[in-house]
Amino acid sequence: MRKFTRREAIKVTLGSFLAGIFSSCDLSDLKNPKTMIKTPIKTNILRPPGAVPEEEFAKKCIRCGRCGEVCPYHCIKYFDVKSGGVFSGTPYINVMEVPCYLCMKCVYVCPTGALVPCDKDEVRMGVAVINREACVSWQQEKTGLMCKTCFNVCPFAGIAIKIDHDFRPYIVEEYCTGCGICAYSCIADQYPENNGKKAITIEPVKWKKIKKVKLEDIKKS
Amino acid sequence: MKGKSFLEKIRSSLGKINTWRFFILFSAFVVIIGNPFVNYKWDINFIQGWFQSFGIGNLWIVSPLEGLETILTAKFLYTATIVGMVVPVLLAFLLGRVFCSWLCPIEFLSNLTDRVLGFLSKKLRYRKDLITLPRRIIWFVLITELLITLIIGYPMFVWWSPPGLVGREAMFYAFYKVITIEIVIVVAVLFFNLLTRRFFCRYFCPLGATLALIGKKRQLVIKYDKDKCINCKACDTKCPMGIKPSIGESQSVYCWNCAECVDTCPTKALSFTWNDDGIIKLKVHNSLTSMKNTDKLITTK
Repeated sequence: MRKFTRREAIKVTLGSFLAGIFSSCDLSDLKNPKTMIKTPIKTNILRPPGAVPEEEFAKKCIRCGRCGEVCPYHCIKYFDVKSGGVFSGTPYINVMEVPCYLCMKCVYVCPTGALVPCDKDEVRMGVAVINREACVSWQQEKTGLMCKTCFNVCPFAGIAIKIDHDFRPYIVEEYCTGCGICAYSCIADQYPENNGKKAITIEPVKWKKIKKVKLEDIKKS
Repeated sequence: MKGKSFLEKIRSSLGKINTWRFFILFSAFVVIIGNPFVNYKWDINFIQGWFQSFGIGNLWIVSPLEGLETILTAKFLYTATIVGMVVPVLLAFLLGRVFCSWLCPIEFLSNLTDRVLGFLSKKLRYRKDLITLPRRIIWFVLITELLITLIIGYPMFVWWSPPGLVGREAMFYAFYKVITIEIVIVVAVLFFNLLTRRFFCRYFCPLGATLALIGKKRQLVIKYDKDKCINCKACDTKCPMGIKPSIGESQSVYCWNCAECVDTCPTKALSFTWNDDGIIKLKVHNSLTSMKNTDKLITTK
């Protein structure tokens, strides 16, 4: 019988381990090399409150995970290599799972200034956008419903979301923080014609707009 | 074996520095692994983060290499980062690469695997080094690491540093009940231990290189007493970093003050000393002792 040397044992174990890993996990995201360096922030997937502009964020964040451990609602989640590439380990908030309730705890634990301390009403994570064709209030003639859910749940109701004379909601973009509570609790997906589509989504804000706000914050502090 | 009673065994092991080192490693590991579970269950949040950045109450600790990388890529000095880097830099400045050998979770895990392998066969535990590379590689690793970071524009070590990944996987498991692929890196580092003891720590850890560079003129060193040495070379076989204290390498940059050699030395020729010739002078030499020292130097030369 042939002797099984240690070197071979190492080779076989390492090889089988790596093969097992790579065959078991879904690497379809890795096939497109652009996903490795393209920012994974998109509709309804936002940075935590107080974040510096997206171009700067991954450079400043050291992926220490303190914001996620502090968050009492566990709404801050993290990218991994498969979905984030070089952005792996950076925090995000998926407002469709758990929206941000603006408790502003994470902002005070960031050690590198990726999240800049600011007040509740200064947060600009994104901007809520109402799809008027899916909103049941905007389609009153068709649906016969008058829904005010997004108005009721908004932490800045009457400032960020307003109601016009026909009880239809609209967004004041200057004051919208993008916390996503409205998108999370929108009931339009229950309406049969919408096929599970929500009427409100949160779009990440144009980075330059945030930059202006954040620079002022930094100067203040 | 049977001659010693259980109590005597414990007493003799308590006298060894390495027992305490393993105890500290174990408690640091427990804090790192257990903390996210505690935070998740009871919402305490007194301690947050892991070895990339650690927050105990209001005390902030930021790992020096990660802090340096963010400063280099973001080109922005944030006060909290620099304040957080004070404690580890001071620790490295006074005690050398003590984080690696006394706190790092990877060191704990490789210590554990060494012990398990030691059960299988004693040869594996005290093996001679299979692959030895020039130890200078670690500086090139540090330089390439920083260069790649600057070229890509995103900090690299922050998402694949093995000591950070251990804490991160624990946190991921506690909070989201998932374990990401990055755990491969930790397992690979542990596998590399089969090539040489602490293969990754010795040659390829940029964080270790940073700490070694900071602690080049450290105060706590392992002193080698030539008069007491009986040339048994026990320390050379035991050193996890592949340093030979028997030819006076114990005070070099590559030593990480783990005290393996201090414990094995049968004649106590090696011992921890607070270096008086370093930057901070705690004792003032009187003229007589300094004269003696110079005499010795001349005679040895």
